[in-house]
Amino acid sequence: MVSQSPFTPTTDLPPQSPEKLVPEQVHLKNEDGQLVLRLPSPVQGALPPWEDLLLQLKQRLESSERFWQPHSALQLQSGDRLLDSRQLQALVETLGEAQLLLKRVITSRRQTAMAAITLGCSVDQLTDMEYLNQSIPTPGQPLASPLYLQTTVRSGIDIRHPGTIMILGDTNPGSALIADGDIVVWGRLRGLAHAGAGGNRQCRIMALQMQPTQLRIADLVARPPDSATTQYGPEVAYIGDNQGIRIALAEDFMRQQLTPRGLGFDP
Amino acid sequence: MTRIIVMTSGKGGVGKTTCTANLGMALAQRNQKVVVIDADFGLRNLDLLLGLENRIVYTALDVLAGDCSVEKALVRDKRQSTLAMLAAAQSRTKEGITPEQMRELVTGLKGQYDFILIDCPAGIEMGFQNAIAPANEAIVVTTPEVSAVRDADRVVGLLEASDVRHTKLLINRLKPAMVQEEQMMSVRDVLDILAVPLLGVIPDDERVIIASNRGEPLVLDNKLSLAGVAFNNVARRLLGEEVPLLDLTAPQDDLFSRLRRFLRG
Repeated sequence: MVSQSPFTPTTDLPPQSPEKLVPEQVHLKNEDGQLVLRLPSPVQGALPPWEDLLLQLKQRLESSERFWQPHSALQLQSGDRLLDSRQLQALVETLGEAQLLLKRVITSRRQTAMAAITLGCSVDQLTDMEYLNQSIPTPGQPLASPLYLQTTVRSGIDIRHPGTIMILGDTNPGSALIADGDIVVWGRLRGLAHAGAGGNRQCRIMALQMQPTQLRIADLVARPPDSATTQYGPEVAYIGDNQGIRIALAEDFMRQQLTPRGLGFDP
Repeated sequence: MTRIIVMTSGKGGVGKTTCTANLGMALAQRNQKVVVIDADFGLRNLDLLLGLENRIVYTALDVLAGDCSVEKALVRDKRQSTLAMLAAAQSRTKEGITPEQMRELVTGLKGQYDFILIDCPAGIEMGFQNAIAPANEAIVVTTPEVSAVRDADRVVGLLEASDVRHTKLLINRLKPAMVQEEQMMSVRDVLDILAVPLLGVIPDDERVIIASNRGEPLVLDNKLSLAGVAFNNVARRLLGEEVPLLDLTAPQDDLFSRLRRFLRG
């Protein structure tokens, strides 16, 4: 029998509507061996404030610094966000602290292009149409490559990623991980975690210690039982047959996946 | 090298100002040249705890306006000549000052002092941004309460993303008896969540209130209280000494509490 924690989806919490993750946060990725920093495009016409973006970028750089050699070149895709020379300068300094060099800027705004040229970057100016074509997330698109961060995710920090999130470290109460794919926490999961935020019910949440404030998978929401357990092992949260979020010990979960149902024996 | 340390917490009422006053005094007693700066514009308190309120002539605002030099605005402590305080203006709100101005203010003091302690206001808005702008180290003050620890966690996150590189933790107002009864978070519980190097633990002490009302920091007492000793230890650790944590449990662990624990199983 698979041992399951008494972790049942609560009915007093409203189901989730799918979240749109694609344009909301700064995205640092590797495209064909080239580091690319993508700034979010406007969500319903509103741009996230520049200070927030810079803070987000600093946090990302801090926690994934060992994924590049010192003095790597970086390409900035700023989309139709307008960046003045002061903001670009701040960006260059922030990147510089993480030993990254801003080499190329791709933008659809003329002023941003001008500011980038003054700073000595090479510039690709896209027309608005080109940019729009480029940024529309088509349905059925593959997920982004996993986001791997080595950090403590502290209160007030949201990490959103249109793919799988892997955290090497703890997540604290008051933090949120929101992924279109799975969530893996190699540490204690104490904040909120939302896997399959785009609506995929196959997604799972895995943690060495599962002590979440709340778990969400696709459109389901669950909270931990009010009585605290003292013993924790690596656990997996998934959507079970009865359409609720279940939690199983990692070893039991794996065994369960290997055994076809209806064989009539307990593995 | 001047060490510029901001004392911050996020939540209000955890004892930032008390810790700043005592730590500043304790460092000054060890022949360090110390300036404590009140960055709580509009709600200043540090002058009260140090008993220097009636000696303020100029505030930081006067310095920024160019009405006087930084040196002139400093209020020197009569009891301890190596300690000076720069008062905040009571008339202006925190939005009236910019991080650049705070940096400018502190730059004027660099070099001549060993320590500059900045007493940060509660919250994470403009006042916080102003206070951390000139700092290169931070001491996060928290009490062993869930709400204070949560806010401290947020603040540590913000500090990590700022230019402040070294953050240390000071746990204030710990009640060892309650920890033993498992009614209060222990030092380990707090460290477990915050994952920040520990600088010290200050026990809860009613004498802190008396000292605040009198305007005489605890560390000035002739017969030091436990909290006073703890502040002294923190100062020594800041200076690089290795001082073991005080054993706070010893005096409280009398026959009765042992018996009570035994009976509760």
